[in-house]
Amino acid sequence: MLSNRPPRCLPVHSEPVPADDRSSAGVHRRRTTDRRRVLRGVFAAALGLVSAPILVASRSAGAEEARFDETYRGRSIVGVRSGGRRFGNGGSGAWHVTVDGRQLHLMRRVDGGWMSMVDHYQSYATPLAAARAAVDELGLVARPGAPGDRSGRREDGRMPSGAREAEREHRHGVHP
Amino acid sequence: MVYIRKDVSTLTTSERRRFVNALLEVKRRGEYDEFVRTHIEYYTADGERGLRVAHMAPSFLPWHRRFLLDLENTLRRVDESVTLPYWDWTRNRTLTAVPWTVDLLGGTGRRSDRQVMSGPFAYRHGRWTIKVGVTDTEYLMRDLGRSRDPLALPTARDLEKALKDPVYDTAPWGSTSAKGFRNKLEGWGRGSGPASWLTHNRVHRWVGGHMVSGASVNDPAFWMHHAFVDLLWSRWQRRHPNARYLPARPLPAGDAQHGRVVARRQKMPPWDVTPEELQDHSRIYRYA
Repeated sequence: MLSNRPPRCLPVHSEPVPADDRSSAGVHRRRTTDRRRVLRGVFAAALGLVSAPILVASRSAGAEEARFDETYRGRSIVGVRSGGRRFGNGGSGAWHVTVDGRQLHLMRRVDGGWMSMVDHYQSYATPLAAARAAVDELGLVARPGAPGDRSGRREDGRMPSGAREAEREHRHGVHP
Repeated sequence: MVYIRKDVSTLTTSERRRFVNALLEVKRRGEYDEFVRTHIEYYTADGERGLRVAHMAPSFLPWHRRFLLDLENTLRRVDESVTLPYWDWTRNRTLTAVPWTVDLLGGTGRRSDRQVMSGPFAYRHGRWTIKVGVTDTEYLMRDLGRSRDPLALPTARDLEKALKDPVYDTAPWGSTSAKGFRNKLEGWGRGSGPASWLTHNRVHRWVGGHMVSGASVNDPAFWMHHAFVDLLWSRWQRRHPNARYLPARPLPAGDAQHGRVVARRQKMPPWDVTPEELQDHSRIYRYA
């Protein structure tokens, strides 16, 4: 499940992002970005936190990149993995991904692949690949969110209200 | 009274007009957007928790059969002469073929923003504003044929691979089922890239824009595409008359898919109906 709670611990490191299965054309990475500022941008406004989350630099063997932050085709795509891998138990909640500051909801396939609401009929090997694929599908103008919400960039990563409702419906899609 | 679903390429001018007008009226009443919401709500991937019914599951076919019947009944309350036409994408394969004509669904989106500019569902006509979706755009989007990296529609030969499989579905009853008609038709292939986009899934991608998103129902092409998928299920049943929906019984505790897929005689949310009850549509509609 997608969690709205602040992660207590964010594994972060600054090694280069591994090669991905998508084209890197048009990609510009902002590796020099202050991690704390980015993390505040993603979480703090949404959560009303005063202090920054605790940062722990770590990387478990074979783990995916814990975060990414790049400009792809002119769009800012940011992903942060919260603590704990929850794959197999609603694993998509482990990543918070935004495009131009607007949340891009991801789902998981049982084979470990990732798919976004924007590109819903195939999956990708990593959250970064799924985010880039979503940008490819969005084209030059569209952004994640609710139809008609043309407000400015959402630094807090929240979805506009209508989309949040659709998101809730999507997440609560199983009726007993 | 059994009614007939026709190949969209055979509709008369009057039938096309009445079908389009019924869709626009259902949209005007606000009923159409409920269908968009329902599809978003029930699309649960197989790496997530809980029961999944619409996709990556054995009930992909009966779930959409019932979903189409609901929309068709809604259209028929507006105009009882209307039935859902199907789009045979093995025959009508080009960007200018039906259903992409101005008297049906209109054409592809424009290059700048993928906005559909022609036909009755163009935003500028004011009768097809997107209200439930996953992007901030209010206009219908398409990118027929995936212009930036062109892709072909599935062929009759591709379909044959699915139709000749004598088993309805197999474990693990999801997107990684290597055998079974259901996933071969739904189209979750192995690996990544265009070779893994098969049949039903590939058509969503070929249309692009809204059709490849979680809000795919916003494009009326959804119904014509799924009517053809529904027809293919019937075709498969005729070819394998002894085959039935699987799993026949609920999966036992201990099975990784226990409680996560619907068996033949289990209720399929959001309806009070089982896959078994939806296996035979011949007393409701037939395909021409």
